Amino acid sequence: MRKRDGGDLAQVTVTIRIPPLHSLVISRHNRANLLPALISEEERSSTTKPVATVFNRMAPSSPINTASQPPSTAENDIQPFFVLHKASHRRKDRTPVRQGKYRKRNEVSPELPQSSKKGEESTNEECDRRFCQQMQIEAFDIVWTKIESTIKDVLRDLNASVFNNIQQWVLEGYNTTRLVGEPSIAEATRSFPVLNNTTPGKLYTALVITRNIEFVDDIVTFEELGIFLKSHGCHVAMLSSMEFSLKNGIAGCLKALLREFLGGSFDQSADLSTLASWYREQDNYNKPLVLIVNDLERCCGSVLTDFILMLSEWVVKVPIILIFGVATTVDAPRNIFPSHALECLCPSTFMLVTPAERMDAIVVEVLVKHCTTFNIGHKVAQLLRNYFINQDGTVTSFIRALKVACLLHFSMEPLSLIHGRILVEDQDAKSGLSPETMSKYMDELPSYARNKMVDQTNKSMAEGLSELVTVQKLWSTVVLCLYEAGKYSRVRLLDLFCEALNQVLYPSRDSVCHTRDEKDHGLPSTNDPCQQYSILQSGGFICQIARRVRDLPPGKLDQLIDSWEKITADISEIHEKLKILQSSVSFKDGKSSRRSSKDISKRSVSKIIDKESRLSNLQAIAFLDDLVRNYLKPIEGMPFHEIFCFNNVEKLQLVLIGDPRRRIQVDLLDFHDILGCSCCNKSGKALLPSMHDSSIMYSLAQEHGDLINLHDWFQSFRTIVLQNTNKRKQKSKNTPSSKKRKEMNESGDQNEASIQARFCRGVTELQITGLVRMPSKRRPDFVQRIAFGI
Amino acid sequence: MNNNDNWEEDEEDDEEDMEFSRNYFLAKELTSSVKKSKHKITDIDVVDEQELRDASLQIQPKHENEIAVLMDSYTSMYPEWLLSLRCGFALLMYGFGSKKALIEDFASTTLTEYSVVVINGYLQAINLKQVLIALAELLCDQLKAKRKVSGRQPFNTQSMEDLLTFLYEAEVEDTDSFVCVVIHNIDGPGLRDSETQQYLARLASCTHIRIVASIDHVNAPLFWDKNMAHTQFNWCWYHVPTFAPYKVEGMFYPLILAHGSASQSVKTAAIVLQSLTPNAQSVFKVLAEYQISHPDEGMPISDLYSVCRERFLVSNQVTLNSHLTEFKDHELVKTKRQSDGQDCLHIPLTTDALQKVLLEIS
Repeated sequence: MRKRDGGDLAQVTVTIRIPPLHSLVISRHNRANLLPALISEEERSSTTKPVATVFNRMAPSSPINTASQPPSTAENDIQPFFVLHKASHRRKDRTPVRQGKYRKRNEVSPELPQSSKKGEESTNEECDRRFCQQMQIEAFDIVWTKIESTIKDVLRDLNASVFNNIQQWVLEGYNTTRLVGEPSIAEATRSFPVLNNTTPGKLYTALVITRNIEFVDDIVTFEELGIFLKSHGCHVAMLSSMEFSLKNGIAGCLKALLREFLGGSFDQSADLSTLASWYREQDNYNKPLVLIVNDLERCCGSVLTDFILMLSEWVVKVPIILIFGVATTVDAPRNIFPSHALECLCPSTFMLVTPAERMDAIVVEVLVKHCTTFNIGHKVAQLLRNYFINQDGTVTSFIRALKVACLLHFSMEPLSLIHGRILVEDQDAKSGLSPETMSKYMDELPSYARNKMVDQTNKSMAEGLSELVTVQKLWSTVVLCLYEAGKYSRVRLLDLFCEALNQVLYPSRDSVCHTRDEKDHGLPSTNDPCQQYSILQSGGFICQIARRVRDLPPGKLDQLIDSWEKITADISEIHEKLKILQSSVSFKDGKSSRRSSKDISKRSVSKIIDKESRLSNLQAIAFLDDLVRNYLKPIEGMPFHEIFCFNNVEKLQLVLIGDPRRRIQVDLLDFHDILGCSCCNKSGKALLPSMHDSSIMYSLAQEHGDLINLHDWFQSFRTIVLQNTNKRKQKSKNTPSSKKRKEMNESGDQNEASIQARFCRGVTELQITGLVRMPSKRRPDFVQRIAFGI
Repeated sequence: MNNNDNWEEDEEDDEEDMEFSRNYFLAKELTSSVKKSKHKITDIDVVDEQELRDASLQIQPKHENEIAVLMDSYTSMYPEWLLSLRCGFALLMYGFGSKKALIEDFASTTLTEYSVVVINGYLQAINLKQVLIALAELLCDQLKAKRKVSGRQPFNTQSMEDLLTFLYEAEVEDTDSFVCVVIHNIDGPGLRDSETQQYLARLASCTHIRIVASIDHVNAPLFWDKNMAHTQFNWCWYHVPTFAPYKVEGMFYPLILAHGSASQSVKTAAIVLQSLTPNAQSVFKVLAEYQISHPDEGMPISDLYSVCRERFLVSNQVTLNSHLTEFKDHELVKTKRQSDGQDCLHIPLTTDALQKVLLEIS
């Protein structure tokens, strides 16, 4: 049986080698895919048909223990798709049951040990696990919904002014278009465009400059814009560059446009006249039609040109207004459209905010002002910052990273469940964990243990938590103050944020102030009063900000102090200090302004002013210094911070950024670290026959250049596999069963055919991972290496 | 300090990049400096293809126990994976080894409360529309009763767009209810084109669809732009090397040693020739006989034409050309330009093979 099968397979390979027959195979596949049921029929009826034999072949090659598996497995392997199982009906009443069980458990929990049968325990455990996961999901939902809506609000506020401008412009454009010529009923119901003069109508076109290299962020922005315009009484269609492709052609674009405006209900022959008559309908009339294309540069120029020419002919009947997202410059349309299409456009330009601005706004609301209690640690912050600045640059992926962090936080830190609840309800009562378990987890928190050891006060949890919240509030106020000052020196909020979270810097900030020996710094020991502030010495972004504050001209300093006043308004501790600063500064200001009004030209006076304003600058620095030293406590230094603060940067990185290219190679080269077998770790880097075939082969491939000679590769593989055969025979300490297996191995594994087969499989496996490319016709004896270095 | 940190990191990155390009050029250099190995794949004494195929079925797995332990260790991650899915993320499994068994085990033990559809991406061709229809039907079962009543076009007559819209907009009573789509080898040959990936991405962004996919190709992430990867698929990456053999996944790859062997080519050629007309076969025979008698030189087209005419195989050049085109399409014949500028025909087979072919078709 096998023999005949094999023969058939040879034919199959034959068919695959020859192009025309190959395509025949594919088409047969397609047919097979369309009608999976047919396969078995075909299998039965003909053994000579290539496809049938491929499928026939499958059975023996599937796992040897077919008997123990459901018979369908092998069959399923070759189905293009199959339904593994349908949702069990149990889940329908799952939620209420679980809730009920939970309540019961809580009420009855003291008596539980009495009725501890084994089966019940396991179901209880299962129930606990499920319940716990339900809690995790709830907590995640609560926190993330809050964060998401905050982000949405932030972005909406940022975009508000641009959106308003665009909406105004749409209205103006619409009114002008209508003025050009309102079609009479007779004209409007005809199925061809109104052409009352020779020149085609002008299409009002907004070029919205996105100022962004990546279009991901803008997708959301344009969706928001669409919603905004809809809510202001426009009909809005959103098309993407994918519709404007050569493959789709003009017909595809038109269909997509109609689908957007009319919904699914139009027949296949619909054209712009359908849109025109739809627009004539009572509900639709008198509203501007807006078409948004969010990535102009990625559209196919010729298709879009035709589309625009067509629209411009219909503009009287279908007063459509275009909004293009432009990623490059205002010149973009000129590069894409020919002049006769450009003539149809009547462009205006709008600017969106830059990604950096968006980023800052989001970080302020979500991470600094803490719209939820969720927080990230220093290392995570740094990862996100580097990811944003060095690799990705999109706000979308930053938000996603935050979301993943949030998910991981709830899945890994049991106490984090308190979190979600704190937001919605009062604290402990409904936190979902019994007080006992909670305190158990509490004791396990490293920060708590540390704290206990340091001071024996044994604060109650409530105290600890409320302190944490207070400190956080102070921390965020300080960061905001610094950020406000940082605006003058163009310090990015993300940088500042990372530095403010850095626990390593905190104690040094605290102590440097008084112990510093000025000589050590090699500074001339002047009487420069700045020297006394540690904030100016520490280096880093905070220092940079402080230095800028030192040099701020008086007017700007006043502005800064005013903005500080707003920030600190409801934090009495800091606000009082600010009041002192304000009074001293304004006092001097008053004096100096009086003087300066007398005689500005006098140098001596201006010097005095200089000196005085410098004094007020110093006072501002003193204020900042005070804040930084006393209140900029990173959350990671606080007890209980684990509840709110996610800091597992390794895990986040793994889940967030897969690195298949490197990791798959590492899997192959260092497979021993993963499998931890006892047979392969004896001799360092030397290749052993017991190693995985693909690993041996990939290690061997490293020795070649970018081309690997198949013959040489095979020979070295063969040598490795055959080495130590004798040694293995000598070692007979093994248990009888393994000895028996080895003997079998040798008979089965060491012969030529088997080695060749193993080599073939190794090549196939490396081909699947994409690490080698198959021989080309030009170089039939070589495979090509794809990856160089890990 | 922070600043310095970043600098260092940047430098590290740069260094990595440098390292990479250096490696590439070193490898290139190695090829050019070391004399290119002249060994031919045909120098390997390849066993009979049949034997090779049999042997490849008998390969003893290595490290079975360790692999079993490794697989088992992944079960502890099932709850985390489930949580990710329930929170709206998709899972992307990568790492060396077939992940088919692992993912299906996860699906059948942990996702019992959800419907699961499996797509075998490693197959050559997959009809995505059929998958969408199946998904739509599954989801339809879970739909709100009142919507179910309303008459709808049967799914198999709807377009891809309609199906995706249906899936996207479907409202299900229970918010925590979804259909899980397992895609083995989302980087497989049947799913590799960008249109399919776009459809999959749109499928992934549907509210009640969750994707669990595996990739094996090191460059698979290049399929996706940022919108697809970050917003539509919304991947959580999990590195789960299994070292399990790629049995089913590798099924459609030719055995490299069998690929170029003589017997293989003979069969190929014979099959193609048998499907041609007797006249065409005879033309081929003329060419083959010439090549057997003059092994080192090709046959000029004019010579072939005159011989064929003599034997009444072709009546004009056009007929001969049509035969030759057929041969070339199947790679039975190649043209070489000789030093005197004349186009010569030759058959890319060894003399032995050629004789076998002649035997087969006579």
